[in-house]
Amino acid sequence: MNHDIPVSQIGPQGEIMAHAIEACVHCGFCLPACPTYALLGDEMDSPRGRIFLMKEVLEGELPLFDAAPHLDRCLGCMGCVTACPSGVAYGELITSFRGWSEPQRNRSAFDKAKRVAILKALPAPKLFSVAARIGQYAKPLAPLLPDALKSPLDLLPEHVPAMLDLPKFTPAQGTKRARVAFLVGCAQQALAPNFNAATLRVLARNGVEVVIPEDQGCCGAAALHTGARDEALKLARNNIAAFNPDEYDAILSNAAGCGAGLREYPEVLHGLPDEDAAKKLAAKVMDISTFLAQLSEDGGLEPFMPASRPIKIAYHDACHLAHAQGIRAEPRALLKLIPNVSLLEVPEGDLCCGSAGTYNLEQPELATQLGERKAKNVLSTQPDMVASGNIGCHTQIQSHLRRQGSGVPIHHTIEILDMAYQGLL
Amino acid sequence: MSLFNRRKPEKLALTANSPVSKPRSTEAPSSPLAAELTRLLGPQKVLSAYGERLNYRYDAILVGKTPLCVVLPETTADVVAAVRAARAADVPIVGRGAASGLSGGAAPLEESLVISFTRMTKLTIYPEQREARAQAGVITLAVSEQARPHGLVYPPDPASFRTSTIGGNLGENAGGPMCFKYGVSGDYVKALEFVDVDGGIHELRRDAFDLAGLLIGSEGTLGLITEATLRLTPPPRFTRTLMSHFAEVGQAAEAVSQAIAAGAVPAKLEFMDKACTNAVEDYLQIGLPREAEAVLLVDTDGDDLATVEEELALVEAACQDHGGTVRRAADDAESAALWRARRSISPALGRIRPQRMNEDIVVPRSVLAEVVREIRSLGEASGFHLVQFGHIGDGNLHPNILFDPRTESSEKVHELAYQVAQVAIRHGGVLSGEHGIGAMKRDFMRDAVDAVTLEALWDVKRALDPEGMLNPGKILP
Ligand SMILES: Cc1cc2nc3c(=O)[nH]c(=O)nc-3n(C[C@H](O)[C@H](O)[C@H](O)COP(=O)(O)OP(=O)(O)OC[C@H]3O[C@@H](n4cnc5c(N)ncnc54)[C@H](O)[C@@H]3O)c2cc1C
Ligand code: SF4
Ligand code: SF4
Repeated sequence: MNHDIPVSQIGPQGEIMAHAIEACVHCGFCLPACPTYALLGDEMDSPRGRIFLMKEVLEGELPLFDAAPHLDRCLGCMGCVTACPSGVAYGELITSFRGWSEPQRNRSAFDKAKRVAILKALPAPKLFSVAARIGQYAKPLAPLLPDALKSPLDLLPEHVPAMLDLPKFTPAQGTKRARVAFLVGCAQQALAPNFNAATLRVLARNGVEVVIPEDQGCCGAAALHTGARDEALKLARNNIAAFNPDEYDAILSNAAGCGAGLREYPEVLHGLPDEDAAKKLAAKVMDISTFLAQLSEDGGLEPFMPASRPIKIAYHDACHLAHAQGIRAEPRALLKLIPNVSLLEVPEGDLCCGSAGTYNLEQPELATQLGERKAKNVLSTQPDMVASGNIGCHTQIQSHLRRQGSGVPIHHTIEILDMAYQGLL
Repeated sequence: MSLFNRRKPEKLALTANSPVSKPRSTEAPSSPLAAELTRLLGPQKVLSAYGERLNYRYDAILVGKTPLCVVLPETTADVVAAVRAARAADVPIVGRGAASGLSGGAAPLEESLVISFTRMTKLTIYPEQREARAQAGVITLAVSEQARPHGLVYPPDPASFRTSTIGGNLGENAGGPMCFKYGVSGDYVKALEFVDVDGGIHELRRDAFDLAGLLIGSEGTLGLITEATLRLTPPPRFTRTLMSHFAEVGQAAEAVSQAIAAGAVPAKLEFMDKACTNAVEDYLQIGLPREAEAVLLVDTDGDDLATVEEELALVEAACQDHGGTVRRAADDAESAALWRARRSISPALGRIRPQRMNEDIVVPRSVLAEVVREIRSLGEASGFHLVQFGHIGDGNLHPNILFDPRTESSEKVHELAYQVAQVAIRHGGVLSGEHGIGAMKRDFMRDAVDAVTLEALWDVKRALDPEGMLNPGKILP
């Protein structure tokens, strides 16, 4: 679509936004893929509508204030990107737009404090863990709290697990097949330390040597997607320095959101001196499932012990795997390698579960509706177990399964592989 | 002379830059109509802020004027209330489904009340009667999805079926790949409920004057469809898919004619040219033949496997006789991928040029090869990217002119579109197979329809909407 966006005034991020807007032919193919459109049924809360709104704001035709409520409701799930045949780079558009517009926003003091708290706590596992513990004790107070504080409390596990100290170096067992660096993830380390422990075990068992670079930090995705661009830039540069792509066969993440975050660095740093370094890093970044699937293809994986009885696993596509990184087949293929396991497809599988980073805090009502819908869809398949590749989905789905009175467990794909190796399935 | 020059001074924006000056929300108090509607329907169903209304000015092809107010009704009673309030305020009314229309039908040309049906999504399946009762906003695909567990489907399948609504489909009398064998949307309507311009509710069946038939394809200019009873059918037990590609476009058209003459009645018979194939391949990467000048995609279906195979063999032979390379889909997954490719053509073309002028001509099958070749050479002579695809079994072609309005002249685009329309008319064809006339092709109507007939159409319009309050500026020149 045509635009009059003053690209030169906005700079390199303006180029990215104008390019995405231009590519949209307003065909509406993305509408059914959008969770907020599914819930609200209005054009402003659809991808096509949001693209128009951003265009109008950038052209100075619509005050940011009017567009903001609809843009804020976007989960950043990228369902629209998968659905768009014109190749509109919606993700780059909304991210750049949020970065561009945040400094112009007039947020309430409460909102500001909340954002600062989230953005400080998320990248600091220790702090997050403490916060989660406080939250855990605050749970009984939940009925007294405003919604924005209530739902995140609901998401906390009954027991916040103790933090694990991860080894800086894990040697390969048997013949060494690869050397990788591993991004440990922030919230995940506090909420589900076993994801990382399982990852190290499975990699080592398959001849992979794992380095956990010490200086690594938060990938910055949460900061970036909430518009805290300066913070995001700082975090990105920190990781570019911490991970030297030349030293590793791959840089692995087991959190879909973080992996996608690292792969976004070239866009974040577009037009800046570190753009090339960002590209080099991003090219090496891989999700754990893709990496293992590749190992499995060239040379195979160590065989899994069969599950002790037939197990039906409902596989949940995390948006940041399926939509943002196009990873669907790999985790399924891995799970199918376990004898006695069968996979189930979840109805409306492409629709976000409503977790989406900080969405539970910012849009508790919509997040809850989506969580309920997801849990219902998952349960309709009558699974013995749920698998997913992202910590956000994990906590959201777990909490909503529980709310619906279901005891079906949810695990990270890698945990299930690890369990199979240990004969615990 | 381009027909578009004959239009009144206000020129339509083919692009997102509507020339209309835009009021700021801070300056524009919400209209008295919005206030009244909010009183009647509550705030949840009424959009009055500028930032909310702004997005109701476009469909998939045209950007019109920002509406004065938007209503999102949930029941027929809401529609009635909205229509009455708009009439009392003397504001025109534009119906809107998913706004996936390709002729500007849902884009308001003047300050209007837009009634958007996207929340009227009630759907009930009656398996014993083989019927579905759907509110206007039901997504087309949902009908088949919900009927399938009962062993039934709803055959009309416009390429936009994941997005478009039943109301919009009936508004345009949408077709799809299936219409060669199974017919278009209108053929599956058993009854209709609509609200007239005075807010009266009518329940129509397909008898007497077949007023329902008149409403279908009237693009919201005669009444607002609120519910429909749709005919469901059991899906055929067997389907076979074949793709054939050719070194020349005319060959594909000739192969189609030969196959049909030989007695094949394919369920779907689709054509795409090289530019389409490549745009889709860029998107899906499923191994489409990039070098082919024309690709045919064919389904035969039925309950008797031998006949289905036999028909496929007829098509295969016809393709080979005209130099085509044939590939049969090995399984359901392969055929699903091929059909997804076909459905993605239209938006995938956005990768080539940001804007397009889209035609929807229908010509007799006997002249297909000639028409396809003529249009092709018009495109080549013009220097524009002109691509063609369509439901070739019905002679329904979609020549699309792709352009970049910043570097290419819209005047010249319209000129070329007009020449393409002329090719169709000259060969005994018509202007619209399924996308409607809307605002885009309204001016071509004078060439396509004789004056006496046009006057009769105006009489019908005046009978149902004397003051021209329903979707003004559409269809009739
Ligand atoms: C990629 C793509 C592919 C397409 N492929 C096809 C195809 O294969 N076949 C085909 O026929 N079309 C196709 N179309 C065009 C379009 O999808 C159809 O015309 C569809 O029927 C429009 O439905 P909608 O709900 O989007 O209606 P809209 O675009 O919202 O409206 C269409 C017209 O119907 C009127 N209308 C809407 N709802 C009502 C109602 N309840 N009562 C009365 N009038 C109403 C509107 O005023 C307007 O004039 C395609 C479009 C796209 C973008
Ligand atoms: S599918 Fe893509 S081109 Fe179509 S409206 Fe959505 S973003 Fe725009
Ligand atoms: S990212 Fe998700 S929520 Fe946002 S517009 Fe796209 S589909 Fe909708």
